[in-house]
Parts: sequence; C-alpha cells; structure tokens
Amino acid sequence: MRKMLVSYMTLGYPNVEGYLEFIDGAISQGSDVLEVGIKPKFAKYDGPVIRKSYKAVNLSEGETWELLKETRKRSNVPAIVLTYLEDWLGKLDEFLSKLREVGVNGVLFPDLIIDFTDEYEKYVKAIRDHGLKAVIFTSPSVPDTMIHDLSKNSDLFLYYGVRPTTGVPIPVSVDSLITRVRTLVENKLVVGFGLSDVEDMRKALRAGADGIAIGTAYIEEVEKRGVKSAISLVKYFRGVLDEF
Amino acid sequence: MVEREEILPKYWYNVIPDLPKPLPPPRDPPEAEFSRIDLLRKIMPKEVLRQQFTVERFIKIPEDVRNAYLNIGRPTPLLRAKRLEEMLGTPAKIYFKFEGATPTGSHKINTALPQAYFAKEEGVNHVVTETGAGQWGTAVALSARMFDMNATVFMVRVSYEQKPQRRTIMQLYGADVYASPTNLTEFGRKILAENKDHPGSLGIAMSEAIEFALKNEIKYLVGSVLDVAILHQSVIGLEAIRQLDELGEDPDVLIGCVGGGSNFGGFAFPFYGAKKGKKFIAVGSYEIPKFSKGDYVYDFPDTAGLLPQVKMITLGKDYVPPPIYAGGLRYHGAAPSLSLLIKEKVVEWREYSEPEIFEAAKLFMRAQGIVPAPESAHAIKAVIDEALEAKRANEKRVIVFNLSGHGLLDLPNYESMMKRSLK
Repeated sequence: MRKMLVSYMTLGYPNVEGYLEFIDGAISQGSDVLEVGIKPKFAKYDGPVIRKSYKAVNLSEGETWELLKETRKRSNVPAIVLTYLEDWLGKLDEFLSKLREVGVNGVLFPDLIIDFTDEYEKYVKAIRDHGLKAVIFTSPSVPDTMIHDLSKNSDLFLYYGVRPTTGVPIPVSVDSLITRVRTLVENKLVVGFGLSDVEDMRKALRAGADGIAIGTAYIEEVEKRGVKSAISLVKYFRGVLDEF
Repeated sequence: MVEREEILPKYWYNVIPDLPKPLPPPRDPPEAEFSRIDLLRKIMPKEVLRQQFTVERFIKIPEDVRNAYLNIGRPTPLLRAKRLEEMLGTPAKIYFKFEGATPTGSHKINTALPQAYFAKEEGVNHVVTETGAGQWGTAVALSARMFDMNATVFMVRVSYEQKPQRRTIMQLYGADVYASPTNLTEFGRKILAENKDHPGSLGIAMSEAIEFALKNEIKYLVGSVLDVAILHQSVIGLEAIRQLDELGEDPDVLIGCVGGGSNFGGFAFPFYGAKKGKKFIAVGSYEIPKFSKGDYVYDFPDTAGLLPQVKMITLGKDYVPPPIYAGGLRYHGAAPSLSLLIKEKVVEWREYSEPEIFEAAKLFMRAQGIVPAPESAHAIKAVIDEALEAKRANEKRVIVFNLSGHGLLDLPNYESMMKRSLK
C-alpha cells in the first residue's frame, strides 16, 4: 500500500504567491494530504523554524479564509488545518462552520490532548458535528491506553509526533518508539515532528508507520533556496516513501 | 545473603509511560529569540537528552555506571528505625533508605555519575555545572573525577564565601570552583560591571555554566527537575523494593521530601510503577509553600529562563524564597512528572515549618544517631505523623522513607535553628 506523504505549509508563507506555488507543487509531486498551518497567537508546540514562518505571515482574517478557499480549489487532495484550539475557544462553532464552508476537510489541534485532556471527546464531537474530520495529535508522553483509544477516534490517521517540538533534532530512538506505538494503534499511523532526517523517516517506515508528515524541512528550504527547491524536496521525499 | 551486586538494579525505571495522563511536553517560551529545546541539544550529553525524552519503561544502566555505583557504596542501606518506633510507641514499622551514606553525602551523585559517563562516552572530557550550597556541585566534582574528567563548578558567591566546606570538598576532588558571578563569562562580566560585589544567585550561576559549556564545547550536567534526573535516581526506589522483598515487607506508606523532586521521584516512583504502596507523601517546606500556594502552569525551571518551559507546580521562576535552613527545598517548582501525579491525587503532599522539622530531626538524631539533612528532616516529620496516626488507629503500617542526605555539613544551620528555638 502506498505510504502517505502529509505535506505541511504555513498558510501564506513566504507570501501568497509563493504559498500557492508550493501547494500546487506539493500536490503535483505526490502529497496525499495537505496540512495548512494558521498562524496562532502562541505556537506552543512548534519549533523555531515554523515559528519563524508564522512571523513572516501577516494575513487579515478575510485573507486567511480566502486563501484557504483558494487552497481547496487547487485539488481534491484532502486539506486539513493545523491550529491551536486555545485560540478558538470562544468562537469554536463559528470557526468550524467557516472551515467547512471554505471546503477544508479536517482540523488538527496540536494542543487538544495535551491541554484539554479531560474534554477532548467533546471537541472531537464538535469537529465531526460540523462535517469535518478530526485528526488527533499524540506524542510519546501520551499513556499507552490513551493512544489506543485515541487511534480509534482519529479520522484519516493518527498523528504521532516523535519529538517534543518540530525541527529540533533531539536524539530519540525513532524505531523503538514506532515499533511500540504500532502495536497500540488501530488506524493509519502518520509520524511527524522532527522527521526531516531521511534516515529517521526510513526507520519510522520500517517500524510500521503508514506515512510521514513533513513541514520544517520545506520551510527551511523555502527560506534558503526558494519555493521551487522546496517543491523538489516534496518529490525527493515521495521517492523515499515509494521505496517501501 | 544477597550480594550487593544483585540488589543494585540493572535498569533505571521511567515513570512516564505509567502516568495516568499525558505529560505536557517542554516548550519554548512565547516570542523566544532562540529555541531553549535546541539549547538543550547543544549543552547536554546526547544520551542524557535521549533519556529525557524516552518513553521506554526500563533503561539499561551501562556496566561502567553500575561499577561506579558500587564504588560509591550502592546499594545504600535500608535501615529500620527501631528506636524511633519505640520512642513513638507506634505499632508501625519504619524503614529508611539512607542516601546520606554515599561519599558526597546525598542522593545527588546517582544522576551526576551517569551524566558524566555519557558525556565521556561522547568524547568530551570536561563537564560544567552550577551549584548553590554545594551538594550538586560536589556530586558532579566526584563523578567527573571517577571518569577521569575535568569539572568546572560555578558556585553562588555568597555560598562560596559562607559555606567553604563544600567548596573545599569539590577542590579536593579536583574540580575548578569559581565564585559566581565571575569574569570568565560574558554574562558574569555584565553582572560584575553593574555591581562588583554582587552576591550571585543560582540563576546567574546557571547562566554562566551554560555559556561556559557552549563556548568551550563541553557538556552541562543538570541536577534536578528535568525528568531524566528522576530516572537516574530510580536506583534508590528499585533497591529499596528489592531490600524490602528480602525482609518480606510490603510497604504501605512511601515518603520523601521535595526540592525539585528528584529524590522523592527516584525513591517513590518505582514503588508506584510496581504497584506497591497505598499512600505516597511528598513533603515540602511551609516557608516555601509551592504545594499549597503554587500554580500548575508552564514555567521556567531556571531563574534565568534559559531552559525550556515545563508544566509544573510552581511559585514562579522569579519567586524569591526566604533564606531558610533547608537550602535544597527553596526551589520554586516541582518536576513535571511529580507535579502531574500530585494534580491527579496519586501523590499527597504536606508542608512543615522550621520548628516542626527541627523537633522531628532532634527526635530522629536521638533515636537513630544520624544527623539528617534539614531537607530530609521534612520527610521525618511526615513519618512521625504517620506513625502516630497508626498508633491512634492501632494499625501495623509499614512506613518507608528516603533519607536523602546527611546533615553533617549543615551543622551551622542546626546551630541557628537551636538559637531560634531558644528565643
């Protein structure tokens, strides 16, 4: 079965034209899911590279919705939005309705399981009630029994971040982490958070991951060599996934 | 008879996979100019960092570290406080793990040894740290010596001048000890330029140690609060479980004092993981009321704000503690895993004041002959309360506590407690 490539880009980075060019390229080069980050008030669990990309973005609320709508128009590849639940607490219904309206397929709140542990079911239900997919983010510090339950509750796949933050290569034993979590997950398992190292990716796939989420590596590439180069990185990662 | 080598565990125990809820991860502060998590990567030994973020339940102790543990007298004794039981007239049995029996006089060396070892394994032959009153610095100094490495210790100036014994021990072990703020770092020079007689603080000393590590490409060793320190301290609890098994005892109550949480966690978490014990009591100081007044929020573990934020019970990194008799308990927070277990009510807490713990310490000294560190005397006070409660209920409870260090270098503190109690 084809391994999934989940490609992340911060909405509107490096600018609207560059963002759309990347999205087109990411799709044409074989991404299976688009993950689009809406600039949060406080990027609690993002690494320095992604945080920097947020700083470069200055979209008004209207422009944000327009650009999401435009993203959606580009293809039929599922697009999920990554944003912090904390930012939308007071206006969650409105936010989720709007996401649905512009055609976004799902939403991933990286702080859901960490900061809203006791109420996560309520929020998953709210997401689904609006016709959206609820993609759940977990990490190694989530207890085993919870990972098992969450995996059944997550739509599309279970997102498993192997490092405490994106883009900082903290030494972790990727293979043993995935081998362990694979036995608990009754769903597709997508691994991310600091997996830009190709050897780590291969380890994760060998250990049973169904897909890989990439973000920091693209943003770094856009920053250093431009959007075209980041698109060729998508092609490269697709090639690595297709080895399996 | 069981051999010492058999009691000393082959694996450390990691509580993270057994916690009832996800452990909130360390994170960078809002608007951070640089990533604190990335900073950890630059200054900590790679294997120590891997262990900080691991979710394996058991982690193998390298053979060289086990040998070093044996060399410092591990397993430490598990003793029965028979005379204390008699003096209290309690039907409870009281046991204590005596971490003061190590050469450096406290539990701190249990994590200094592996951290130094992992730095050495990485090809680094020099480690650096900061210390307040000196227990942690002493542990680092000896650990470095045991693996033939150099150690540099930034010691808070006021302690360096007022508590010279610890400094002397570190120097005898061969460490370079500097009164912080120093002229060796940019940060230190900046502080001295503002005030050449600055008394120093743990935050300043830590900033200097981190800068020194970065500049010289050597490794920084971390004393408490980060969960990896608790992981290494688990040798205390794992040994105690084995020692109690040998005696045929099943513990009911487990007690330890809490500065940052490493001796409590190292002692109590293995019992929790092994589903042994009915009651866990973490003891803090009434004068530093982090359990009763602290919030469970993201905060910096260090005053300087150089380390990543962690979610913990905290009085705030800028909290200025009163200069109490138990320096080790002055810390503003408690380790994330311990904080979570307290919030989930798995671990209970108590806070005791100076006069209470002084009485408890005296009773213990007179019963058992050991001068406990004032920090450990907090645990003793809780033990006495539990033993008296058992007496009232006429229950044969088995109470086990961690005597995290001896108080032979805290005699000036006891002298001042004596003076205050006479007033």
